[in-house]
Amino acid sequence: MEHPAVLLGFLGFSILLIAVFVFRPGVTRSQGGKIVAFFVLFALPLFCLGVGFSAELDRSKSTQFCLSCHIMEPYGKSLRVDDPMHLAAAHFQNHRVPADEACYTCHTNYAMFGSVKAKLGGLRHIYVYYLGHPPKAEDIKLYEPFNNRECLHCHAGARSFEEGAVHAADPSLLPAIKANKVSCLSSGCHQTVHDVATLGEQKLWQGAGNAQ
Amino acid sequence: MLSENILEKRLQIAGIVLILGLLAEGLCLLGRGPVAFLLFVGLAGLLLVVGILIFLLALVRAGHVKSQTTE
Repeated sequence: MEHPAVLLGFLGFSILLIAVFVFRPGVTRSQGGKIVAFFVLFALPLFCLGVGFSAELDRSKSTQFCLSCHIMEPYGKSLRVDDPMHLAAAHFQNHRVPADEACYTCHTNYAMFGSVKAKLGGLRHIYVYYLGHPPKAEDIKLYEPFNNRECLHCHAGARSFEEGAVHAADPSLLPAIKANKVSCLSSGCHQTVHDVATLGEQKLWQGAGNAQ
Repeated sequence: MLSENILEKRLQIAGIVLILGLLAEGLCLLGRGPVAFLLFVGLAGLLLVVGILIFLLALVRAGHVKSQTTE
């Protein structure tokens, strides 16, 4: 039940069924009425809650959701920078990450409870955005240094990564990257990720399916 | 509007709370962004859980009253 219209229709149908028990409570006097009441007043709302939560959780992973906060707009624009040296832009434009879940794919934690941690981080963002003092877009920093694990989730084992000229040049480099001792984002490697400070000077790609 | 029968009255209250919860859930699904997500978890989710608990409590208390009257 991914489509919101289907879910809304189901919610409407559930409301109608519950309304029968609100306006005609006498139907629960019969044995059959009691059984139906159990489904309508217990199982159905529980199902609606589960399906709704799943839909909301899925939506909260979308690129559009992340970029709905004004402060994130420059980061959305940085996905359109027309320069392959910009890591996030190159991943987004070449669909190395799903375009509709671009932020979540890289910024979730690929460890146990990573999604829960990402959601708790999101709640902190909302708190700062509405009740705190949000920093300027260019001053936003990650809570923790970016862990190579998030890159290796996709790149580990890939030929382009394992046999890449730079990666293979020094035999000690790959083990160090895999052990998170040398960051993928180190200076001289993939250091430009979201360069929002110089966004005004960058040429933007105007292809289809762009982020905001 | 509420029934005089205590069990039916509780079921009606549970139904009203559940309807409010489902309406809130529908509105949240129409909305976009983090505020809709927060409203879903904080308001719609809460109303639905409270409605379900009222329903279960009504069942438990109805069974309790029935057993007392038969003793």
